Amino acid sequence: MASIKEIQVRKKSIQDTMKITNAMYMISSSKLKKAKKNLEATEPYFYTLQNTMSQILRHIPDMKNIYFDQHEEKDPEEKRIGYIVITADKGLVGAYNHNILKLAEEQLQSCAKPVLFVLGEVGRQYFKRKKIDIEEEFQYTVQNPTLGRARKIAENVLEMYREGRLDEVYIIYTKMASFMQAEAETVKLLPLKKSDFYINPLVDMRMEELAMKPDACTVVNHIAADYFVGFVYGALVESFCSEQNSRMMAMEAAVDNAEEMLWELDIMYNRARQAVITQQITEVISGAKAQKKKKLS
Amino acid sequence: METYSLKVMAVDKTFFDGHCASLIIPSLDGLVGILAHHENMVIAVKEGEIRITLEDGSEIEALVGIGFFEIMNNRATLLVQTVERPEEIDVARAREAEERAMEHLRQKQSLREYYHTQAALSRAMSRLKTASKHK
Repeated sequence: MASIKEIQVRKKSIQDTMKITNAMYMISSSKLKKAKKNLEATEPYFYTLQNTMSQILRHIPDMKNIYFDQHEEKDPEEKRIGYIVITADKGLVGAYNHNILKLAEEQLQSCAKPVLFVLGEVGRQYFKRKKIDIEEEFQYTVQNPTLGRARKIAENVLEMYREGRLDEVYIIYTKMASFMQAEAETVKLLPLKKSDFYINPLVDMRMEELAMKPDACTVVNHIAADYFVGFVYGALVESFCSEQNSRMMAMEAAVDNAEEMLWELDIMYNRARQAVITQQITEVISGAKAQKKKKLS
Repeated sequence: METYSLKVMAVDKTFFDGHCASLIIPSLDGLVGILAHHENMVIAVKEGEIRITLEDGSEIEALVGIGFFEIMNNRATLLVQTVERPEEIDVARAREAEERAMEHLRQKQSLREYYHTQAALSRAMSRLKTASKHK
């Protein structure tokens, strides 16, 4: 059995760790509250944006436009594919980072020339360690997403796309699937693909003509960029909320575990203490007995 | 007056969700008014003022950022990046942003920076314009 001193040291160290996890739990739960409010405000926009976009794309006439150009003439091996990967700025978030990075790795396997735009320190460190090149200038934090930051991110990526340095753009982020469930997801942002949205042509069979103002090309240029910004912002908000959510749950589990360990150590400590006392009593008694015997003889 | 259903949404809030008689939006080449049973259409929207007229004739004014408007089968959606009521506009902040953008424009910058500043400037200017009108 471990000595009393050892058990005490161990208990102390668990208590110290518990203080940290408990504090992180409280911080993330208060941040989550804010992030949830933000998410609730953004969600209607985010979903309407996706729905409206699919509706528009279904009805849009065929045209030649950079945002629709699928680069079919290019060999799939030669395509340069951009990935925007949203991770957290620090660890201790349960499986949040792991899920995203796993998904990113899977995507990278199938792509010969990836260009990585990594948001969040954890992701940057991860790819650096793996010696996978990432865009160095792409330094943005994922804390408290703002529209301004989403605009800048979008500008960066869109510029590369327009210049032909990227052929496709995907975003890998974490979605709040339900109140407690987060889910990593990959979404193709560019080029806009009409057939992507042909999920259920039976529901809406009549192909109505959709007028565009001022003209189709200008409208597509305008809304593609706008859609990109909106999507990036929505993804940032969803990810931030998921991050806080997973951190809160991870820290809650950590605190629970620490409590359980402390409880077990308490029992061990008491047993050890009792054993010491018993031993001491035995020693005293046997000492006294020996003295008695001595006197008697 | 006949009405149609309209949703005005910005990234951080749903500004309007209900029926309206008419809507005026700033398109890329000028103001456009939308009445009920409008032809199915997608319109690119730039920053400026919108005006929603309700069935009882009352009006709601707001300032929107860039986005797009879609009307299909008498159901309209206006998706913009920002939307503010005129009284919500922070004039001091807008003026500061305008000055900053002007300053940036005077300096040499890359094409992307130029577009960025230009967009920032037009946002600031449309805010100031709307705010001064509603003083």
